[in-house]
Amino acid sequence: MASSVSLKIEFGGGLELLFANQSSHKLTLPKFVPISNSTSLSSLSSSNLKDTDTESATSDDAAIPDGLKRVDVTYLLHHLRDHLLKERPELFMDKETVRPGILVLINDTDWELEGEGEYELKSGDELVFISTLHGG
Amino acid sequence: MTSCGNPAAEIDALMTRRPKFDHSKECVKCKGRVGNIVIRHVVYCRECFLPLVNTKFRKILQPSIKEKLDGPRQKSLKASGNLTMGLSGGLGSTVLMDLVAKNYFRSSGPEDNKGGKDHPRKLNEKVWKAGYVCYVEVSDAFPGMRDSTADIRAIVESYNVFEFVPLKLEDAFDPSWWDRVDLLLCDIPSSNFSTPLDRLRAYLSAMPTQTALLSSVQALIRLLLLYSARSTQSSHLLLGTSLTSLSINLISGIAQGGGFAVREEVDEEWHTGTEMTIRVIRPLRDLTMKECTAWAWWNHLTVVGETPIPSAKQGIGSLTKDFIVGLETDYPSTVSTIARTCSKLAPKDKATGVCALCQRPTQFRAQQWKSQISILSYSNSKESTDRISLAPSLCYACHTSLTGRNSRSVNRSVKSHDDITSDVPIPLPVWVQSHASMQSNSRGSGTSLIDDASTDIMKVRKMNREEMKEQIGSYLLDDDL
Ligand SMILES: [Zn+2]
Ligand SMILES: [Zn+2]
Repeated sequence: MASSVSLKIEFGGGLELLFANQSSHKLTLPKFVPISNSTSLSSLSSSNLKDTDTESATSDDAAIPDGLKRVDVTYLLHHLRDHLLKERPELFMDKETVRPGILVLINDTDWELEGEGEYELKSGDELVFISTLHGG
Repeated sequence: MTSCGNPAAEIDALMTRRPKFDHSKECVKCKGRVGNIVIRHVVYCRECFLPLVNTKFRKILQPSIKEKLDGPRQKSLKASGNLTMGLSGGLGSTVLMDLVAKNYFRSSGPEDNKGGKDHPRKLNEKVWKAGYVCYVEVSDAFPGMRDSTADIRAIVESYNVFEFVPLKLEDAFDPSWWDRVDLLLCDIPSSNFSTPLDRLRAYLSAMPTQTALLSSVQALIRLLLLYSARSTQSSHLLLGTSLTSLSINLISGIAQGGGFAVREEVDEEWHTGTEMTIRVIRPLRDLTMKECTAWAWWNHLTVVGETPIPSAKQGIGSLTKDFIVGLETDYPSTVSTIARTCSKLAPKDKATGVCALCQRPTQFRAQQWKSQISILSYSNSKESTDRISLAPSLCYACHTSLTGRNSRSVNRSVKSHDDITSDVPIPLPVWVQSHASMQSNSRGSGTSLIDDASTDIMKVRKMNREEMKEQIGSYLLDDDL
């Protein structure tokens, strides 16, 4: 359990259409992920191998293996795009962040107050992605 | 595109990015709770944010009701007619309908008790006697679009206080719809050789550009809403235009030659031809899309969503949208500056008439100019040499839209129908025919007018260069100037 983070993800405002029309998703991510945000399986397993620490030890920076970082929202975005998104990735992501016009709430709070992509995810976090692009 | 550069990249280079929020994560209003949302660099908690949205909504709408109440009954806050709302299924209009229901049509809405301070009102007395929600379905005109009328109806009826008025885009070409809404009893001869949908498709496929196609869809929707508001005896037509979409409309409107009517994008009065005037109000025009989104989310509203019109990507409108939405994310204050700046713009000349097509004010010089370069003309099937020109009755934007330089047809985005070439007459919306026949009545006889079933016909004809030069010659500057 200590090596992974479980999250609840919700899509709204039409964004769920890109995710197989399913608005609610449960998701488990490794606690440490590649700095490159690569979500390929090989990099995931390597992070799992190296992470043998307990929950308390993860607060120690020295415990982060080389080339990895604590799982953050930017990594989550890449994961969602690479593994859950069914169509038209350009409507979800723009460069390394969400497309302008998507409101992101982390535990019911605007992600702009939580550091946006740099927010470090913890187990039980709830993230909501809502498209605002539905016009008048 | 390359010659113009990439506006987003250039702004990045020139403007330094402000942090997303000022000061602390604490709510600026109650100063106690931790903030939940950032609006234009200011932090609010959820409990303070929601009433703020309600206040911004009322602040725009309320004065438009009061104005009509000068007199002894001022305190009762009663509008002079009913209320019509345009619902697209999109975010803005969904939020609008929710705010209207909670503020004006329910005695026990969540905001009702709080709102009493500034605007004392009796809970059981409605400002508007009846509320109508109009939805215009466009799916029949384009391939691969789904009809959302049933979904929209379910949401409207879930409020239990509004009457749902479903419309179709092709109603604009349907004399029987006109019969139902028109109070002027203007006779429009019905064409028996084609259906309203055929005429709509022919009209849309004659648009010279994607941008013109999309603006004409918007114009048809706007007029369908206006005439429906008139038929429901409404004093107010409310639209769910947010600050963000207002800025998009303003910029793309100006880009398409609609500068003269820039004020009408914000606030307009439509004189119906009867003694009634309909105020067109956009009560969300101080709210960003982000605020609307958060309102919808925190109030658990269902947003059906507007289905995008296929191949709408290329239009000036959607390019402007991408730009403004990007701007709002990175520089949230800039977007309200656009709207504020545009609201200060005033046309130099007084309006001299009303455009036959979009029914917005037209300017004197444009009319004069256009009367010189008659490109659009009515044709009378009996004496095709004798034409009356529609051009002087069009505003600059409609005129520009219909006669784009790029005369490539946009048939591809319209469902298949008989191939329309530029020489084939194009059907016009019913109100344009009505406008033309009214003008003909007031002018009396003498000019060739439209008097039979084929009068709903306009000719778009490309002039050759010689002809064009002859027409505009006096406006051209000498080469050596
Ligand atoms: Zn507060
Ligand atoms: Zn016009």
